Amino acid sequence: MNFSAREFRQLALPLLGCVALLAAGSGLITWTEGKRVAEERALTAARAERSQTKERLMRIAEEEREVKEKLEIYQRLKAIGILGEEQRLEWADAMARIRTERELPDLRYRVERQQALKTVPGKPANIEFYASRMHVALALLHEGDLLHFLGDLRASGNAYYAVRRCTLARTGQPAAITGLSPRLRAECEIDLITILDRAAKA
Amino acid sequence: MKRLVYFTADDHSVYAWSRGRLTLEAKFPGDDLGVTAFREYLAGHRGALFYAVADLAGEDFHEELIPYLRGGDRELVVQRRLAQRYRDTRLATALSLGHVRGERRNERLLLTSFTNTQRLTPWLDALAESEAKLAGMFSVPLLAPALAARLGARGGRCFVVTANSAGLRQCYVDDGKLRFARLERTVDMMPEALAAFVRSETGRLAQYLSTLRVLPREGPPIQVIVVAPPGQRSAFERTLVSDARLSFLTIDQSEAVRRTGVKAAPAATGAEQLYLHLAVRRPPREQFARREDRRSFVLWQLRRAVLATGALGLAGCALYAGASWIEVLGARAEVERVQAETQSAQQEYQRITSAFPVTQTTTENLRATVVEFSSIARQTIPPEGSLVYLSRALEDFPLIEIDALRWHVERPGERGARAPAAPAPARGAAAADSARSATEILEISGRVGTARRSDYRAITAEVQRFADALRADPAYVVLRTQLPFDVTSEGTLSGDISTATDTGEAPRFTIVLARSIR
Repeated sequence: MNFSAREFRQLALPLLGCVALLAAGSGLITWTEGKRVAEERALTAARAERSQTKERLMRIAEEEREVKEKLEIYQRLKAIGILGEEQRLEWADAMARIRTERELPDLRYRVERQQALKTVPGKPANIEFYASRMHVALALLHEGDLLHFLGDLRASGNAYYAVRRCTLARTGQPAAITGLSPRLRAECEIDLITILDRAAKA
Repeated sequence: MKRLVYFTADDHSVYAWSRGRLTLEAKFPGDDLGVTAFREYLAGHRGALFYAVADLAGEDFHEELIPYLRGGDRELVVQRRLAQRYRDTRLATALSLGHVRGERRNERLLLTSFTNTQRLTPWLDALAESEAKLAGMFSVPLLAPALAARLGARGGRCFVVTANSAGLRQCYVDDGKLRFARLERTVDMMPEALAAFVRSETGRLAQYLSTLRVLPREGPPIQVIVVAPPGQRSAFERTLVSDARLSFLTIDQSEAVRRTGVKAAPAATGAEQLYLHLAVRRPPREQFARREDRRSFVLWQLRRAVLATGALGLAGCALYAGASWIEVLGARAEVERVQAETQSAQQEYQRITSAFPVTQTTTENLRATVVEFSSIARQTIPPEGSLVYLSRALEDFPLIEIDALRWHVERPGERGARAPAAPAPARGAAAADSARSATEILEISGRVGTARRSDYRAITAEVQRFADALRADPAYVVLRTQLPFDVTSEGTLSGDISTATDTGEAPRFTIVLARSIR
């Protein structure tokens, strides 16, 4: 059947209506599909959150034990001054005190600027670990002085002292000529580690 | 609203049909004045939908055989046969009566047309000019099979006899297919007289068809379904007594009206109301109007089909969207339920954690602080342990004098980091551990104090014994031993044995000791 131009015009409106109806239908499907996908995503997220929360709830006894254990360590770290801002004056006092108490012939030190330590991923952002490297040069009467120095340093607190390097060598001076002249010389590198917890209450 | 034009020999009526109700809208004489009046009527109903039903005498029926054909070829042959049979084929059609059993499967056709088409064409032209949508041009006989089925014909052969306004209409239907029809004009007569007329005309029709061999001479009686005018059924039944040739079934017109589904019709309307109703509700595929006469109707149907397609598409989409929406509602309800469960679990968690000891910080920070600090502490070791270990070993070697000690910690990934050589059985595991953990290294430089410094065998043995003593603790591994004299095949051995006295310099050695920090 061939159509005239007039007949085509008569068909145009229904065709337009048909297209409009089909477009409305597909629009409706697109809209509801979008809603459905969004709701499914929300459901997946809600299920994941529920699963996570329930897991936490199931682990709560373990968490309570863990909190108790860790709290003890945390409080000790705080008590000995590892947790908190650097106490450089306290370090200087401790060095002077050790030299005097141990009667060390010579003790020189230099503490470098503080640097952040690389830590494990996933750590909370408001907690940082810092290290300040200290170079120490000691004149010793005997080997035991080095061990005493390190022990006293650790006992002084205000940081965690991680010894990285120590060298011990003879000075070359003959023994017992002058009585108390140093026979050994030690040089050490020690990291003074502190922790800054910005969420901690005073 | 649909309209029906009912053509008779005397006049032509226009009925409006709506939901089974027929109302007479106009009546026109069959002459030129009637055509003019019809044109004026159509001017007021432009584009209306019309069905034309002709109830005229002089309708021709002729059987033909054509070869078994399909599609365009069949149509060509049918048109050629119609053209051969009728001078004017504008109102001619062919009804298929089925195929002849046999190898060739020829098709039987019933060609039919009006003997005087000139009476109808001005009316059809008027319809076309008014842009009316002509659904079809039917004759009453074309509608008879549908009426027979409605009135309870059980297949086989039957006559359908009705008293129409145009006269007494008799149609012969064989297995639901029209075979022959005739219209006999009647005048007003008493019921008994009309019944007798029906009886005699039916007998004549049977006789005529037998003569033409359309009806077999022998065989069971032919069913004759007679629609009696309202209230005349009993008179008809008294007259129309069945015999060996004809078996009469008389149905009152009111009953026939009910069976065909006519809701209402003008009081004076005869049995033609049945055919008019069926023309709208059950129009047969075959009809007389040409394709060009029905063009407006086909176009209208096409427009409706296009819109219906759109509506159907929309309905389908709406159905799908509805199903999706049900899923959305289900998911929403599920989300709410899951969120309520989560909230409940969170509240329970809060309730329990509120009884925890005061931590002064968040649980996450507490955990991170202690875990990270423990990790750092594990990677750290003081030098005292190794120095004390060395000191104890030296107690058994009074000849060994230490000149210098270099102690440091190598962490994995640091430059120069090395894995201590573990004892053979544990070497694999130790190497793997050391790759992950730090190692403390103690480099011992010293001399062997002996009177005979040229006794290289004794000096070498002493250093090696000292190195072996340092291996006493399996945690410690001697990484390297540099002897005062290089006795390995890879090294260079040198000496000065020509002089009688010692140089005074004690032979020096170096031992590198390592221990993994776990």
